[in-house]
Amino acid sequence: MKYQQELKDSIRKALPGLDVVIAWSAGYDPLHATPHFIRREEDIDRLEIGPFSVHNLATYLPGLRGKKVGIVVKGCDSRSVIELLQENLINREEVTIFGFPCTGVVDQTKIRKALGHTGKVDFCQIASQTVVIGLGGEEHKLRLSKVLADKCFSCQYPNALISDHFVGEKISPSVQTEGDDDLEAFEKMPMDERFAFWQKEMDRCIRCYACRNACPMCVCRDHCLAESRDPHWLSQEDSVRDKWMFQLIHAYHLAGRCTECGECQRACPMDIPLLLLKKKMNKEIKELFQYEAGVDPEATPPLLSFKMEEENINEREW
Amino acid sequence: MPVLKGKELRIVGFLCNWCSYGGADTAGVGRFNQPTDLRIIRVPCSGRIDPLFIMKTLLNGADGVLVSGCHPRDCHYAEGNFYARRRLEVLHRFLPILGIEPGRFEYTWVSASEGQRWQQVVTRFTEQIHKLGPAPKIAGPAASETLRQMEAAL
Amino acid sequence: MKIGVFVCHCGSNIEGTVDTAAVAAAAREFPGVAFATDTMYTCSEPGQEEIVNAIKEHQLDGVVVASCTPRMHEQTFRRTVERAGLNRYLFEMANIREHVSWIGKDREANTNKATELVRMAASKLLHNRPLLSKQFDINKRVLIIGGGVAGIQAALDCAEGGLEVILVEKTTTIGGKMAKLDKTFPTVDCSCCILGPRMVDVAQHPNITLYAYSEIEEVSGYVGNFEVKVKKKATYVDWDKCTGCGICMTKCPSKKATDFFNEGIGKTTAINIPFPQAIPKKAKIDANFCMKLQKGKCGICAKVCPSGCIDFTQQDEFVTEKVGAIVAATGFDLFDWTVYGEYGGGRYPDVITSLQYERMLSASGPTGGHIKRPSDGKEPKNVVFIQCVGSRDKSVGRPYCTGFCCMYTAKQAILTKDHLPEAQTYVFYMDIRATGKNYDEFTRRAMEEYNAKYIRGRVSMIYPKGDSLLVRGADTLMGTQVEVDADLVVLAVGADSSAGAAGLAEKLRISYDSYGFYMEGHPKLKPVETNTAGVYLAGCCQGPKDIPSSVAQGSAAASKVLGLFSKDKLASDPQVSVVDIKRCIGCGKCIKTCPFGAIKEIDFRGMKKAEVIETVCQGCGICTSTCPQGAAQLQHFTDNQILSEVNALCQF
Repeated sequence: MKYQQELKDSIRKALPGLDVVIAWSAGYDPLHATPHFIRREEDIDRLEIGPFSVHNLATYLPGLRGKKVGIVVKGCDSRSVIELLQENLINREEVTIFGFPCTGVVDQTKIRKALGHTGKVDFCQIASQTVVIGLGGEEHKLRLSKVLADKCFSCQYPNALISDHFVGEKISPSVQTEGDDDLEAFEKMPMDERFAFWQKEMDRCIRCYACRNACPMCVCRDHCLAESRDPHWLSQEDSVRDKWMFQLIHAYHLAGRCTECGECQRACPMDIPLLLLKKKMNKEIKELFQYEAGVDPEATPPLLSFKMEEENINEREW
Repeated sequence: MPVLKGKELRIVGFLCNWCSYGGADTAGVGRFNQPTDLRIIRVPCSGRIDPLFIMKTLLNGADGVLVSGCHPRDCHYAEGNFYARRRLEVLHRFLPILGIEPGRFEYTWVSASEGQRWQQVVTRFTEQIHKLGPAPKIAGPAASETLRQMEAAL
Repeated sequence: MKIGVFVCHCGSNIEGTVDTAAVAAAAREFPGVAFATDTMYTCSEPGQEEIVNAIKEHQLDGVVVASCTPRMHEQTFRRTVERAGLNRYLFEMANIREHVSWIGKDREANTNKATELVRMAASKLLHNRPLLSKQFDINKRVLIIGGGVAGIQAALDCAEGGLEVILVEKTTTIGGKMAKLDKTFPTVDCSCCILGPRMVDVAQHPNITLYAYSEIEEVSGYVGNFEVKVKKKATYVDWDKCTGCGICMTKCPSKKATDFFNEGIGKTTAINIPFPQAIPKKAKIDANFCMKLQKGKCGICAKVCPSGCIDFTQQDEFVTEKVGAIVAATGFDLFDWTVYGEYGGGRYPDVITSLQYERMLSASGPTGGHIKRPSDGKEPKNVVFIQCVGSRDKSVGRPYCTGFCCMYTAKQAILTKDHLPEAQTYVFYMDIRATGKNYDEFTRRAMEEYNAKYIRGRVSMIYPKGDSLLVRGADTLMGTQVEVDADLVVLAVGADSSAGAAGLAEKLRISYDSYGFYMEGHPKLKPVETNTAGVYLAGCCQGPKDIPSSVAQGSAAASKVLGLFSKDKLASDPQVSVVDIKRCIGCGKCIKTCPFGAIKEIDFRGMKKAEVIETVCQGCGICTSTCPQGAAQLQHFTDNQILSEVNALCQF
């Protein structure tokens, strides 16, 4: 990544005033990055940004309240930070934001679909539009555009929307798809097939809650309704009904808050298309209230406000 | 106690205490005949109705859910139905992605004096649900067994 | 829990279409139910005794009554279970009359539905908790907003009852619309002569503090303990020193100021006391017309004032008052009739409003009590009155009847004849609404003794014709067109809600209808209460009404306040929201959405948390459906209680 050194220098300068800076470093193999907590100067060297910097690090922020935290954000991650600020869940003065122009991150599922379960990877090189992966002595070439995450194709905000230090030149969004293909395709399905689809998908859910834990807006932490008896929304049963209900709770609690970072779906070990529910919610919110989450820290989310006369709601028609 | 087989479908209503519940009472006092499918849950305000209650009701096997509150600007608590309108509208538009016909859930406003209107609302909604027929049900263990477990948990 | 179920026959009201014995039998199988029976009249004394006895005999700790609507008898049965030693909230009702037996005749379906409603009530009851109300102190002072006749009446009644009263009036004098009237119907007695002494009583009463030319800036707190910030607007006159001598008015060279008191008939001086009987009788400078304030030159009033009270540097001032109750008596404004193009839309000087005419009739008015056409000062021969201008007219968004226009039009027709015996009056009307005591007789007198020509129909157009006006309309009784040559046209303009009504309602947290009139607690049974505890209504702010009704409401509101203050402590309703501090993450969403400002942020060991102010909470539950953690729970309507109802009804 072009601006990696610049970013390191920037962090080095700011680190004495901070308790920790959250970034990414190389993971257990060349295909994966991992969240990286920089506490000492020597930690800085291991920082790596690039197409594998998939994790939305904003997830960690509410848990670090009270500390001076630096965070490296992609454009999409910065929207989660804005959303957290809007909801008073983090204090602006405690957070130092490092931004960089993001050119997209990979979707591991797509790589896995292309190469199967890779096992140990020898190396991975990304040169302009091609990903070269060394696997058991063989080289596999994949076009970068084939393995980029879906969200990157419709990305409107490649640069951090909020930052204290921005390295590199801001780039303009290269939106390649208007709207959302998979949502549109899904909505063409007949009702009974959709119901059957979710029943099948939810049946595969293993109730691991990785979706919730990865979600930067799931801020209830230890007080999630999923594990509560008062109120008792869900039983601990392994039933489709309860697992589905949990996803509905998640989707509805994100209404007007979800920035579509896609962490829920990325984290899901069963590859359940959870983001579809959130995209639908966002689409309706946008149509109804012309509102997009994570853009303006001062905005009031639509479900926490109202108008006496709603322009786009015509409930009297029924 | 299932609904009457062949005659009724499972329809649940969430009504605000001040307007619509009163409107349903007014309809009763006026002896305005209504279909028997609807079961009414009384809440203080339409603003108290978490859309998740409706999702829960639908996933639990209801064939239809009707919400009714005070007319906008007539809310006993000044603003409750304004919040409710936004939240319920979002829910209404969200349901189709789940494979649930949007017509299985409607929300409307009935005041305490509108007995006649309440009769029309119930009749119309019940007809709408009968037209849609029974909702698709989640395959799973028998209701009685699950319920027994749930009650033990609650 | 051991639940007792009582299924009421209500004579044949329920038993006629519901097999109550079968419902009771089915109920015995429900979780938690230890006892179930059917009874003839559960609300009767023996019926209630049966409940009390069953509680004792079977050690019941919860009761379900399946009978009529809880809106009817919930309180009755709560007291019953309380008599037997149970907490009143360990009780639920199943509405099997209004919602079952009265709306269908299918006995099988009804019995089945009734059984399910009982099941639902019983499963909610399993999650009910005893709730206790708390006692709190009250501040026995009352704030009255608006110094019209309703506000004056409320203030005097409260003050006589020994309460300290704060009366806030928007204009420089109390008296309101009534002070502008010449005479009142149906007695034709002088308005100012009957109101004047009341106004003086207000000024002299030791218990009343009057803030004139002041408005409500902010209201916080709750019943018994409101805190109100009052803005005393700058008058540029030190009222502590002003004696109301009026010398300033005689010398003020700026004589083109709008005369609000006289409804714009004529002009007045920039420094002004609106009328001789004004209370308080203090001068105020209209900054828009004062040469000193506008251009920095003049200051004559300051030179001539014998008490040296002119202060051109005066600023708005704020005072905070603590009160226990508030009466809103903010009155009404006239509908803006200029939307009626057919009446000239304000272009013809000789088309005036009824209130302008009233000022013209008044001996202390701008014309000294002489009826003169505004255009040329001539006495009119033909005077045409048009009723329902901005009343009963959907096309201008005012479908309601203002109610008092028929009466004042008849009065003005009579007074016209008194002033100008040669004049002929015409009244275009839709219907005559004269339903008060001696009202109909009064309108008949206008027609029969004073020869007012009543024409049933609306006016379609007013044209200028020479120096007079041609009024064209329909006579629907004759089925003909009518044209009347009019020298003066008086419009019976309807009442609108007061201009600032909505803004004040939001400060008071009371609701208002789509026309801006404040909503009473119940259209029949709570006519002067609002849904915000401790806030009452009097007069036209609740809806247009005549003087006797306004006075009656003023007194009614006062008696409500006195009743409220007759206790030393108030008990709070325990059906309020409670925040589970462990679950709360301090996001403040509940604070944002609470319509009553009943939730505040607190610091708990360095963490932000929400806390409900029980006395302010009205129990709507918006916070409960807003809180994603389920931390805020509205008592008696908790998530678990509603979920148990859902689960009882929908068993997959």
